[in-house]
Amino acid sequence: MAGGSQPHDAAVGSPAPKQMGRATVDTLKTGCIAMVEKDGKPRRAEILSVRDVKSGRQFYCNFDNFNKRLDEWVPAARIDFSQDVEWPSPEKPKETKKASAPVAKKTVTQKKAQKRPARTREASIASEASTPHPWTEFVESQKATPDPEEEKLTLAMDLDASPGADDDDPMDVDDAVTNAISAKNEPPEQFSREEEIEKLRVGGSMTQNQAEISRIRNISKVQFGKYDLFPWYFSPYPEVFTQEDLMYICEFCLLYYGDLKSFTRHRQKCTLQHPPGNEIYRDDYVSFFEVDGRRQRTWCRNLCLLSKMFLDHKTLYYDVDPFLFYVMTSRDEKGFHLVGYFSKEKESADGYNVACILTLPQFQRKGYGRLLIQFSYELSKIECKLGSPEKPLSDLGLLSYRQYWTENLVEILLRYNAEESGKDRTSIDQLSQELSMTTLDVEQTLQALQMQVYHKGEHKIIIPTYLIKKHEAMLEKQKTKPKRTIDPSRIQWKPPVFTASTRTWGW
Amino acid sequence: MSRQVRVRKLNKSTSQQVYREDEIDSAEYKALLNQASYSVESGVEKSEEKEYHLQAALAASSAADKDAEKEIPAPPAELSSDIDYDALYTLVFDKPATYIRFSQTVEETRGCQYDMTTEDDAFLRAYNQKRPVGSKCSEDDFEKIMEVYEETADVQAPFASVDGTVIPYDVMRSALKQQVDEKIQEFAKDVYDHWRASRQKSGNHPLQPTLKFEKNQEKDDGDPYVCFRRRDIRQTRKTRQRDMQSTDKLKKLRKELEEGRQLIAMTLTRELTKREVLKVDRSIFEQRAKVKEAKVRLGIKTDDEDLINQRVSEGPLGTVSTADRQAPQKRKPTDITQFQRPPGAPLRIPGRSDGRPLDADLILLTDLLAQKENMLHVEIEEKAAQHRKWNQGHVDLTREPLSPVDRQGLETGFRPATAQYQYLMTPPSSVTSESFDQPSPTQENPEPFVFRHSSPPEEDQPQGQPAYRRRIGRNGRLWIDRRGMSSKSKFVDESGSDRWKYDQDDDDEQSVYELDPYDTKALRFRATIPLPPHLLPQRGRQDSAAAQLTRPLGTSPANNRAIAATQQPRAPT
Repeated sequence: MAGGSQPHDAAVGSPAPKQMGRATVDTLKTGCIAMVEKDGKPRRAEILSVRDVKSGRQFYCNFDNFNKRLDEWVPAARIDFSQDVEWPSPEKPKETKKASAPVAKKTVTQKKAQKRPARTREASIASEASTPHPWTEFVESQKATPDPEEEKLTLAMDLDASPGADDDDPMDVDDAVTNAISAKNEPPEQFSREEEIEKLRVGGSMTQNQAEISRIRNISKVQFGKYDLFPWYFSPYPEVFTQEDLMYICEFCLLYYGDLKSFTRHRQKCTLQHPPGNEIYRDDYVSFFEVDGRRQRTWCRNLCLLSKMFLDHKTLYYDVDPFLFYVMTSRDEKGFHLVGYFSKEKESADGYNVACILTLPQFQRKGYGRLLIQFSYELSKIECKLGSPEKPLSDLGLLSYRQYWTENLVEILLRYNAEESGKDRTSIDQLSQELSMTTLDVEQTLQALQMQVYHKGEHKIIIPTYLIKKHEAMLEKQKTKPKRTIDPSRIQWKPPVFTASTRTWGW
Repeated sequence: MSRQVRVRKLNKSTSQQVYREDEIDSAEYKALLNQASYSVESGVEKSEEKEYHLQAALAASSAADKDAEKEIPAPPAELSSDIDYDALYTLVFDKPATYIRFSQTVEETRGCQYDMTTEDDAFLRAYNQKRPVGSKCSEDDFEKIMEVYEETADVQAPFASVDGTVIPYDVMRSALKQQVDEKIQEFAKDVYDHWRASRQKSGNHPLQPTLKFEKNQEKDDGDPYVCFRRRDIRQTRKTRQRDMQSTDKLKKLRKELEEGRQLIAMTLTRELTKREVLKVDRSIFEQRAKVKEAKVRLGIKTDDEDLINQRVSEGPLGTVSTADRQAPQKRKPTDITQFQRPPGAPLRIPGRSDGRPLDADLILLTDLLAQKENMLHVEIEEKAAQHRKWNQGHVDLTREPLSPVDRQGLETGFRPATAQYQYLMTPPSSVTSESFDQPSPTQENPEPFVFRHSSPPEEDQPQGQPAYRRRIGRNGRLWIDRRGMSSKSKFVDESGSDRWKYDQDDDDEQSVYELDPYDTKALRFRATIPLPPHLLPQRGRQDSAAAQLTRPLGTSPANNRAIAATQQPRAPT
């Protein structure tokens, strides 16, 4: 999928003049795009912020086509000053370029066109502003952010939408920028920001709002239980913690401390040893707790703050009351340790069965994610509902869900395939019912796996050989090392019912 | 993009065949794949969808080669090197056998809400050095005091950071007095000074870092640190009805609280009374012990009946008036509570009764058995009635039909003719007519229903006691079968009787008596014949059956005589 679109995109870029030129440590400023060493290789990166520390000047870089979690503070030594740097271009009308936008971007362009009148009006307002903003359109989107400092921080940092990963062709840059803008400009329009906040008020936990997403990581290191965590994204912990080298978080009540003495004192007094809710599942490996956001407001807020450090699109704009938190823990002699969780709206208008889902970094890649996902579907099964995770998914979320969906679909489809003829047929509806997945998810997974074909006037499902092999390998592996799964019979849970009075998180 | 084939729309409920890839031609499959071009929504935001690592991972998972980089790199978490985990997390957890149920909040489990900082620690150490050995301020005491200061400041001057208000010591002292021990109040002044200094240093903000909550709608909106905003509650329109509802709710709440209070008060009264009772019991026991002692001493030899509590079953019950008897359960609690109950206060009678009423009858096994049997009978009758209902109006036109189920109605069985004579000796009144039902054999000994395959039924029973029965034959004809009737008629062969069967005119004619009219038996029988049914309209079917009996007796010479009676509508029972 990715490979196909790359050359196409690269071919279009209209080489608009870009201010190029050498830079020094002192002149390099926010908004510049320079070549920065990443993992031993030079890579295009945008400077999002500059700071002076004892060891010298550091630049906060967002690397081209890398997820923001890989953004980092880079010392001047890693920046290649022997190459030209792209300077943030001053005010520039982009309309012409948009008109010649590639066909592939048609939908985006059209949508933009509809909004254009409003934007041009704003652009004129923006031009009156004293400070010349480099990327006008993006600035417009930041109108909702009145604080100028904040604006600077979040300014012009969206290169991750540019196409090819390995194309270092500078000619392509402009196109990349255009794409980034056209792709990203849509949501943060002032109107749509209000709309989004309004939408969030009645439900949901994810945002696509750039003003919220495009923030520089503010916490550098967290001590959590036995582990040191390195946050990936911004999280609105009290601002004083941004100055701390290390933040301490109590493993059980999730309270946060900048001062070691305070944290030690807290640990001497804290009696919590498991999430403050009811245990609804227990096997010899993990336990699940159900925690009500309304009842356990402090704990759930703390959990959200913690998870925000690892979830880019999560928003903490509104309070936690309308959510239930299903917390997965592992047990040892110290208590039930937080491993991961997913939150779920008490009443989801869109039929989501998961709002946010996270496995803490120290437990990632151990199969916990699929347990969380499976548990969310088991709950949906008990509710007799079809469920789907709230969008947008993160990259890791998409991979986990794809994997879960694929494994389960392949298993069921192989079962159907093994049936004698006549019974070896199924439908999307049937699959969806069996897995408590929405039909859309089933459909799209089948398509993504290229299993859905139209052959001889009939729709057919074809299980590719590599998936069968993978499935067999998994079965083989399970003989020696059984896969961890959720045993539905151990779930002690009834779908909670909320009366009018308990539902007054209100809107 | 042009497609070679027009693809029919894929319906969600379309049944689709499932194949393995090796089950179809591989070249064909390739072609199919190329031809199918779906735009798959990944659910990831558009701008992030193209990210390098994600695409690599997606490609790796959908391709066969295993070398491909599958993982998305992320800043790793590592085991802390400089942490003494066991010292920080000292508590050992005792896993309960059952699932945990827990509702305490963080605030309730974290103990003192103030956690002293390094600066506090330095202050406290210096302070304690100056203090005499016996009266040092512990960390807990210090935190307790600080907690009160912070709390009071937060309540009394929530905008201290803006207006610079510093709560004076006097206010703090009064707050402190209510909340902490006398013992630690000696540190209060010194800690206050420290608190004040710390507050000043931090710009009069709360000493512990707090989250930024919304304060000012316009300014806060863009502040990324402002989080967990309240979702504003929908304004409810204020109407008279809503006011009324609130008033009612408050009233109800008030009432319920009052009831709860009274319940507690009454429980107290009850317990006090119980104590009284125990005391009295004890004193009785002691008195009796004395009596016994005296008896032994004086050598009085009587039985010790008066020394044990007699059962009060006979005495009081005998004298209880009927009014009291009607509420035997109420008596006990009222008696007890009456003497201390505040006058006028409503008395709540406990809903739970303390067992059976005192004078409850013993339940006899025979009663139970009878009841059971009754129920059985009722059930059987119901079933039978239902069968009759099903069969009602059923006309079997086949040549030799199955006869209806034997003993279809109450009347189908042979009933002993003699048995009825006794009843019928006196002219029956309308009241006693019901009594016919009771001795009827069908009720007395219900036999299992048997289908018979030939009609008329074979008579296998020995002819003895005279009996008759009524049954419905083909075309709804009414039959009276008699058995054991002594008759003067000689043996009539089947063909002979058969001849009569179709002789319908017979009914209208007056036939010849074959009986001797002065035979005492006949006389006696005639005397038993009740009035014809049209004269006794209220009579039940039993009587009409009996009435019909007369005619064949009088008219027909045969024992088995068909009566083409005008079809008597069988009243559904």
